[in-house]
Amino acid sequence: MKKLLEITLGILTAIGGFVDIGDLVANAETGARFRMSLAWVVVVGVIGIVLYAEMAGRIATISKRPVFDVIRERLGPRLGLVNLVASFFINFLTVTAEIAGVALVLELASNVNYLLWIPLVALMVWMVIWRVRFSAMEKIYGFLGLALAVAVVAVWKSGQTHALLVQATHLHPPATESWPRYFYFAIALLGAAMTPYEVFFFSSGAVEEGWTPSDLMVNRMNVYIGFPLGGILSLAIMGGAAWLLAPRGISVDHLSQVALPVSHVLGKIGLVVFLFGMFMAIFGAALETALSAGYAVGQYFGWQWGKFVRPVEASRFHLVVLLTIILAAALALTTVDPIKVTEYSIVLAAAALPLTYFPILVVANDPDYMGDKTNSKFSNALAFIYLLLLIAVSVATIPLMIVTKAGA
Amino acid sequence: MRLSDLLRADVLDPNGENVGQIHDVRLVKDGLDQGLFGPAYRVQGLVVGVGAWGSRLGYDRGGMKGPYPLKKLFQWFHGDAKFVEWSHVTGIGDNVVHVDMAKEELPAVPMLRQ
Amino acid sequence: MGEPLVNETGGRIIDAGTHLLDRQISDKDGELVGKVDDLELTFPEGGAPGASPPFVSAILAGPGALGPRLGGGVGRVVSGTHAILHPSTRPGPARIAFGVVTKVAANVELAVSRDELDVVRVENWVREHIISKIPGAQHAPQ
Repeated sequence: MKKLLEITLGILTAIGGFVDIGDLVANAETGARFRMSLAWVVVVGVIGIVLYAEMAGRIATISKRPVFDVIRERLGPRLGLVNLVASFFINFLTVTAEIAGVALVLELASNVNYLLWIPLVALMVWMVIWRVRFSAMEKIYGFLGLALAVAVVAVWKSGQTHALLVQATHLHPPATESWPRYFYFAIALLGAAMTPYEVFFFSSGAVEEGWTPSDLMVNRMNVYIGFPLGGILSLAIMGGAAWLLAPRGISVDHLSQVALPVSHVLGKIGLVVFLFGMFMAIFGAALETALSAGYAVGQYFGWQWGKFVRPVEASRFHLVVLLTIILAAALALTTVDPIKVTEYSIVLAAAALPLTYFPILVVANDPDYMGDKTNSKFSNALAFIYLLLLIAVSVATIPLMIVTKAGA
Repeated sequence: MRLSDLLRADVLDPNGENVGQIHDVRLVKDGLDQGLFGPAYRVQGLVVGVGAWGSRLGYDRGGMKGPYPLKKLFQWFHGDAKFVEWSHVTGIGDNVVHVDMAKEELPAVPMLRQ
Repeated sequence: MGEPLVNETGGRIIDAGTHLLDRQISDKDGELVGKVDDLELTFPEGGAPGASPPFVSAILAGPGALGPRLGGGVGRVVSGTHAILHPSTRPGPARIAFGVVTKVAANVELAVSRDELDVVRVENWVREHIISKIPGAQHAPQ
C-alpha cells in the first residue's frame, strides 16, 4: 500500500513537473498558429523524453554516475567541455525564462509589472534551493503544479475535444503558415518536451535521493506514466489555444493569452487555479534549472556537488548556482522579451540534444556500468531511431531559424 | 612524464611512417610496490590507431550491447588499432613516439574483456 | 561488472585512458575529491625509455592538471586559476601519490581524507571567502 502511495505521488509529481514556461509558451503559440496540426510532435517528444530520462535515471541509479560525469568520461575532457559550455549556456537562458515566467504569473495576479517581481523571485528561488530539502522541494512544486490540469477540464467543458482530435490528424500547416515555420515550431515543441535540464536534474536527483536498484521500478512508473500524462497537459494547452485563439487570429506573445481558454470556459475560479498551477510549475522549473547549472559544472570537474551535503561542503557547486540565478535575473531585468528568451531556449535545447543524448545512449549499453540492466534490443532500436531524429533536428535548426526569422 | 604527453602523440616506425596516434596506454598491475595500493600499474604497451574520435566510448572493449549500428560503426573505425609493447619504444619526443617495429608487423590490440 | 583481465603473473590489466582518466575520485569517507585529470608516469631508476617501462606514480588533479590537457587558450585560463591561488610562483599541479589509492573501480577511491590533499585548494578558498559568509551555510537543508 505504501509502495502504491509512493508510486502515485511520484507520478503526480512527474506530471506537474513536466510542464514549464517552455511547454506553456510553445504549446499555446503552436495551438494559436497551427491549431492541432503539430500535436503529433508532442507525442514524439514525450516518447523521446521517456526514453531519455529512463536511461539517464537507470544509469545514475545503478552506477551512481550522473549525466555530466558520464559525458566527460566518454567524450573526453575537450569535447566534454564543449558540451558543458553549450549545455550551460542554453540552461542559463532557460533559467532566465523560468524566473521571468514566474514574475509574469505574479504580474497577471497582481497587476504589478513583472520586472519589479524579478528580484524577489530570484531571491525566493535561491532561498528554497539553499534551505529546503531536495525531496520536499521536488514533491511540493511538482504536485501543486498539477493545478494546471484545469486546462484539461477547460478543453473538456468547451465541448471541442472531438473537433480538436480530428484537427490533430491534419498533418500540414494551415493556409496562413508555411512549411518552414511548421517545422521550426515542431523543433520548438520537441525542445520543450525533451529539455535536457530535465535529464540533468532527474539523473542527479537519483544520486541525491540515493536510489538503489530496488527503486528502479518506481522510477520507471513515474517516467512511463507521469510524463505521458504531462504530455496530455501540454496538449490541453495547445487545444485551448487552437479552439479559442486560432479562429480569432490571436497569437501568443504574452503569458496572459495562455490562460485565456481556461478563464473563458471556467471563469475566474478556473483562472485562479490555473495561475496557481502556472506559478508552481514554473517556480519548480526555475529550481530545477538553477540546480542543473550547478550539477553540470560540478559533475564535469569532479567537485563535491548536491543538496545532500551541507552547503559549506559543496561550496563551488553553490557558488555556481548562486551566480547563475543572479546573472539570469540580471538578464531578465534588461527587459529582454521573456517569451522570446523562452522560444530561443527551447529551440537551442532541441538543437543541442544529441550532445547529451548520445553519451547516455552509449553508457546505457555498457555492462561494466549497468551489469545486466543494459538496454533491451527494443529500446535500443527505438533509442537509435531517436538519435537519428535528434541529429536531423540539430542540423535543421539553424537554417530553419534563419529562413523563418526565428518563427516570426 | 604525464600520461597526456603520450596520448594523441604520433607514433613513427623505423621507416618514418606514421602508424597512428596513441589512443590509450595499457597498464598492468605488476610494478613496484606502492604500499597500500600494492603493485603499481606499469605501462605494458600503447594502443595506436588512426582517427581518434570515439575511442573512449567503449565499443572497442567488446561487451557493449549496442545499439547495433553504432557498435558496427565504431568497431569499423577502430578495428585496425595496433598494439605496441613498451619494449619496442625507442624514443619519446614532443608529441611523437618512435618505435622499432614496422607498421605492418604490429599486432592488433588484444581484447580487454573476457 | 565484467571480469578484469589479468596477465600471466596475475596482474590486472586496464587501459589508462578508459579506466583511470577522467574518473571521479572519492576519499576514504566517500566524499568527492575531483577527477583524475592526468596521471604522472615515472621511470624506475630514472632510466631511458626502452629500458624499463614507466609506472603510474601519481594522480594529477585540479585546474593545474586539467589545463594542459585542454590545451590552447582555454587550457591556459584553467591552469591560471590554479596558479593564482597557489602560494608558490610556478606551482605544479595538485598531486595525489598513487600509494594512497585503495581501489580503481567505478570511482578511484583513496585511503585518506580529502582535507589532506592539495587539490581542495580552490574549494577551500570558495568556502572561506564566499559560501561560509552566507547565513545557513552550515546547516543541513531542512
